[in-house]
Amino acid sequence: MMGTGRSCGLRIYTAIFFLYIFTPLLIIFIFAFNRGEGYVFPLQGFTWNWFIEFFRDSSAQRSIGNSIVIAVSSATIATVLAAFLTIGLLKGRFKRPQLYITFLMLPVLMPSLTIGIAALVFFRTLNFPSGIPVVILAHVSISMSYVFLIMMARIESLSLSLQEAAIDLGASWSSSIKDIVFPNLMPAMAAGWLFAFMISWNEFIVTYFLIGNSSTLPIYIFSQLRFGISPKVNVISILVTLFTLLAVSVLLWARRLYRKMGKDI
Amino acid sequence: MSIIRKKNRNLAIPGLMWFLVFFLLPLSVILIFSITEKSLISGEPVRFTLDNFIQVFQKRHYLIILLRSLRISFLTTVISILFSYPVAYFLAKRTRFDRALIVMLMVPFWINYLIRTFAWKLILSDNGIINQLLMALNIIDEPLRIMYTQTSVLLGLVYAYTPMMVLPLYASLLRIDDSLIEASLDLGASKARAFFDITFRLSLTGIFAGTLLVFIPALGSFAIPAILGGTDSVMIGNMIENQFNLVGNWNAGSAFTLSLAVLSIVMVLFYSKIFGLESIYKSRGI
Repeated sequence: MMGTGRSCGLRIYTAIFFLYIFTPLLIIFIFAFNRGEGYVFPLQGFTWNWFIEFFRDSSAQRSIGNSIVIAVSSATIATVLAAFLTIGLLKGRFKRPQLYITFLMLPVLMPSLTIGIAALVFFRTLNFPSGIPVVILAHVSISMSYVFLIMMARIESLSLSLQEAAIDLGASWSSSIKDIVFPNLMPAMAAGWLFAFMISWNEFIVTYFLIGNSSTLPIYIFSQLRFGISPKVNVISILVTLFTLLAVSVLLWARRLYRKMGKDI
Repeated sequence: MSIIRKKNRNLAIPGLMWFLVFFLLPLSVILIFSITEKSLISGEPVRFTLDNFIQVFQKRHYLIILLRSLRISFLTTVISILFSYPVAYFLAKRTRFDRALIVMLMVPFWINYLIRTFAWKLILSDNGIINQLLMALNIIDEPLRIMYTQTSVLLGLVYAYTPMMVLPLYASLLRIDDSLIEASLDLGASKARAFFDITFRLSLTGIFAGTLLVFIPALGSFAIPAILGGTDSVMIGNMIENQFNLVGNWNAGSAFTLSLAVLSIVMVLFYSKIFGLESIYKSRGI
């Protein structure tokens, strides 16, 4: 069945495809260490200068600080809300949970632009000033749906009879949630938090419309890209990429850990 | 049991309230803006109108941008299907390392797409990598003008969203039972016939799911045409931004935004009616 002739062509094609995906990133990396301002081959020798310049750039650092504040707070709020929402919707009595789930999918599937514009118009109508707090609110609305989806996929393995048994044995309802349901969902919540963090950390469009005079890292990168580019942007790209890969590794590790635990339960 | 369910139910309330207030309510506000004249907060009497929607088809300028956006997003989707089908097929049917390769494929998805778009600026610009290469090889004397055209926008969009196509395609191909194909070959079908009648047909779920994940964000894209495009490649997203940041016509801007939102919702509902929504979020690699 495994025709080797056709597989060979497919293998080469797939290799080219992966090259296509990764070469542009490689180019960014190379020019972060290249002496000389222009992005021109042949390369002009190795330098750390662009890194030093980046670390002297206070506006880049402020943007990173803002990004972290926004990502941490929105991920935390979204995870707490989504955890309660998942338990309530899937382990509570709802006539048509599917209807709610479809609605909750909207922020995932709609273009972010529409979410950003809607939030902009809404907050301006209410005379809410643009800025970091408004961005956090909007990020929660988006990432809550993602965390909900992640937790929904995991909560199916959690049986209601576990909670029932606890209550039969004398636990109160609130302690059955606190001591039985939540510990079981902890790994999914951790994965959801990281996912929400990454969504917010990378989010550009909604932030762009709501951030006002402040800045986040994606906003900073965008302004750099629009008005002439310097290898400093390459440095930022590398640092952001490394940070992202670290976070994703933790995410994958948390998922694997959870799967292992799932088997033990 | 039912008492527990009743109590658990209340836990959903904060999340649902949040969703109502900060997601559905804003959407309703732009709905109101889109069917009225002037701002709601200006204090003048509100007058309902459909002009905000109609002007898209009356003003040539808007219509051109709308059709261009549809064409570019459509091309992005088609190209990404063609690019990723063989890869998805290889991953699903011809290798044991598919899981590791899928994780690798997710890496660029996690990297900020502004950064990935920036890479294409370096590759496509007048003194970019492609032009340097072609001039060094003496194939061309003058740099090719690729940057700030519709081509550069298309290339940027394809690059940004193709990984989103591979995942659902891979998932749908993985589910196909190989014995179906063997049976059809045993019964005398040609390899091509077996592919089109079985493999391709059963992978349509993946193609449609991928189309949602590529077409909708491409149609609503804003940053990629802003970075890679020029005046001839303005898309709906940029037009909407102009209505808010330059023109100051919130009513028209809301109408455009709402049309985009409704179009995407209709596509999603249509898809979920046929295939069920699970197939989308399960293939997103979440």
